[in-house]
Amino acid sequence: MGINRYDVVVVGAGFSGLVAAGVAAHRKLKVALVATGAGSFVTGPAWLKAQEIQQASAAPDLGEAIAYFCELASLAGCLYAGDISVTRFLPSILGDFHSVALAPLTLWNAEPRKGISTAIVGVRGLSSFDENFMAERLTEQARLITSGCTYTARQISLSRDMGVPVTTLRVAQCFDRDSAFREELLNALRAAASGFERILLPGILGLETSAEQIAVFERELGCQVGEIPTLPPSIPGLRVYHHLESYLHRIGVELYRGFPVNKVEIQNGLCTGIQVDSTGHPLNLHCRSAVLATGRRTANPLGGEYAGCDQQMRPLTSTGSVMARNLFVAGPLPHSSAGDHGNVMYILTGYRAGSLTASTRGNHAA
Amino acid sequence: MRLDDLALDNCLKCSLCNTVCPVLAVHTQYPGPKRLGPELERMRREGISTDTEWVEYCLGCHRCDLACPHQVHVSEMIARAKAEHRKPLIRGLRDWWFARPGLLGRLTTILPALSNFALSMKPARFFMSKLMQITPQRRFPSYTWPNLRSPTITCKETQRVVFFPGCFIRYNRPALGRVVIDLLERNGVAVEVASTECCGVPAMANGAAAEARAVARANIKTLAKQVDSGMRIVTACSSCGHMLKTGFGGLLEDDREFAGAAQKIASQTFDLAELLMEQADAGKLNINFRPANLRLAYHAPCHQRSQGIGRPWYHLLRMIPGVAVEDLDAGCCGMSGTYGFKQEKYAVSMEIGKELFTSISATLPQMVVTECATCQLQIEHGTAFKAIHPAEILLQAYDERRSG
Repeated sequence: MGINRYDVVVVGAGFSGLVAAGVAAHRKLKVALVATGAGSFVTGPAWLKAQEIQQASAAPDLGEAIAYFCELASLAGCLYAGDISVTRFLPSILGDFHSVALAPLTLWNAEPRKGISTAIVGVRGLSSFDENFMAERLTEQARLITSGCTYTARQISLSRDMGVPVTTLRVAQCFDRDSAFREELLNALRAAASGFERILLPGILGLETSAEQIAVFERELGCQVGEIPTLPPSIPGLRVYHHLESYLHRIGVELYRGFPVNKVEIQNGLCTGIQVDSTGHPLNLHCRSAVLATGRRTANPLGGEYAGCDQQMRPLTSTGSVMARNLFVAGPLPHSSAGDHGNVMYILTGYRAGSLTASTRGNHAA
Repeated sequence: MRLDDLALDNCLKCSLCNTVCPVLAVHTQYPGPKRLGPELERMRREGISTDTEWVEYCLGCHRCDLACPHQVHVSEMIARAKAEHRKPLIRGLRDWWFARPGLLGRLTTILPALSNFALSMKPARFFMSKLMQITPQRRFPSYTWPNLRSPTITCKETQRVVFFPGCFIRYNRPALGRVVIDLLERNGVAVEVASTECCGVPAMANGAAAEARAVARANIKTLAKQVDSGMRIVTACSSCGHMLKTGFGGLLEDDREFAGAAQKIASQTFDLAELLMEQADAGKLNINFRPANLRLAYHAPCHQRSQGIGRPWYHLLRMIPGVAVEDLDAGCCGMSGTYGFKQEKYAVSMEIGKELFTSISATLPQMVVTECATCQLQIEHGTAFKAIHPAEILLQAYDERRSG
């Protein structure tokens, strides 16, 4: 097999694409991942809402798909907590509670707990996060969900000049790069945390930090740490993205980042390749099967011809015929309406599409 | 299409560009690509002056462009603002020279030995630091006789290409140019060396848009005929390749006479490894490699990534028996051509490179390979490791009887 020849080409690197690529790679297939952007990881907290689990509960493979995702995340160094049968309330960016079934561990640690004294710690000068607003709102909201948890606002100041305004990204980057900064943050937080059993921070604990490193940080701090989502870029979301992407890279998935797909090559009912809109001239990736896990409106490489998919995730034309037997859609594409269908459905369809590529292997000679 | 549409309204302010910017990661005051690009671009288009010194700090690495989920050409907007930016006299003068490596090359190679001696002398470096604001920390690459010529065409080659050497190969390392020619010939490709100018990347990077346009036009005039006759253009420098493939950075998009030819050149330009990889995929690559015992670390230059061709060198080198290649994937080296030579930017440049330096030291390779000449300079400056072009390794792997 040549270099630009793959068993599977996956297009899109949101929840769906990453899971599909993971499944295929774990089944020993040669995989390429073509993507622009980072799906919803850049805007969202990367958690799985309880309501979405509920909506997908009829799917017999839901448990399997979610279990696979959690395993993938864990192998990649970022832990998810929770389960499909669990519902927890986690604080959102607006200071209310969302019912969530699974979340990255630091976000999960922010759930309201009765009798646990909790400080909301803000950083002086930080834009897009107000600890007083957050503490007041969460105390109020906690009463509504009868958790009885109360929150106290605290603020820390950091000595170094972090620019104006200080952003969560800036803090996260300093956290990643600079051990002296981590030390300073640790000391400031230790002071703010005194008298509390837990502190909640805006999402600032690094873009690259592994679950292990966060555990060490927590131990050094001497109390539990949780994160609350903030405005984009979502640091906890991108942290998951970075870990998943670099894990896939490590297990041999070839990444083609930064270029949209021009064209899906289909010949005699089979997808033979994906054409990437590279600089100057297109890059042709030959494949035995492909997964399209792109946005529906903005990046659908099948264009207007696409009219939904069949039970095997294969795309259909408006007359109902299968476009290609070895081409599968996942993510937002299988849904007939535009909009956000939730990370749970994206994981589920990504898992299915990834598995289907493995079962169609050898269906045709590429 | 990426470059013929600036797609300002596609910016949804997700800030993904900011998360990948090498400068923003190390400089706490830098406003970042989202602010300097699409946000200020709105005002610039309204005719509101937003001139800021910060545009000078953009590396032109294109990582923001690649990160953008909606193909906003962030760095192109910053480059245009850079071209409008007014610099203080001394920096302006320094950057005038930095924008013209071709002219500098022609002058210094009249008497290369004397130039090298003068450039390396302490007083000269002190003088350049004080009067030109060029950092005394770095040494200039040495110059040599520009003696790269087209080889005699033998009849066994089946494909003919034109090789665009660029300034570094032409004036500093013509031997690398001969390596490129030798590699291509060993794979049945006949080579003509183009008598072209600088590609224009240094001019763009130093805000000299008029100069960049002038060299682009001159290059198009030289290359158009060969491209029309069906020849492909081959580059071995990733920045030259990037410039040619982007149709000269979109500089001539509104130029009726040249826009079409620029696009044609863009579509016919191939990186050396890309071409060799194509041969490999067609089963035509000469794989008569001698086994070697080498541990290499590969650094992908930013302008290699921005071409969107995957990692052809990484895969090619791994085809040599006994060669282990580690892809460092440790971000930008921070050099960005002339950027790292600028006194006021030296510290930023080195801070950006830290991640790469650490990753090289942790990998402990026998050698680092990377296509970009200034990435090589930065790696050798920031670590104790030698950095060379991967083409040299590949040629060495062929039978030694015909060495370049």
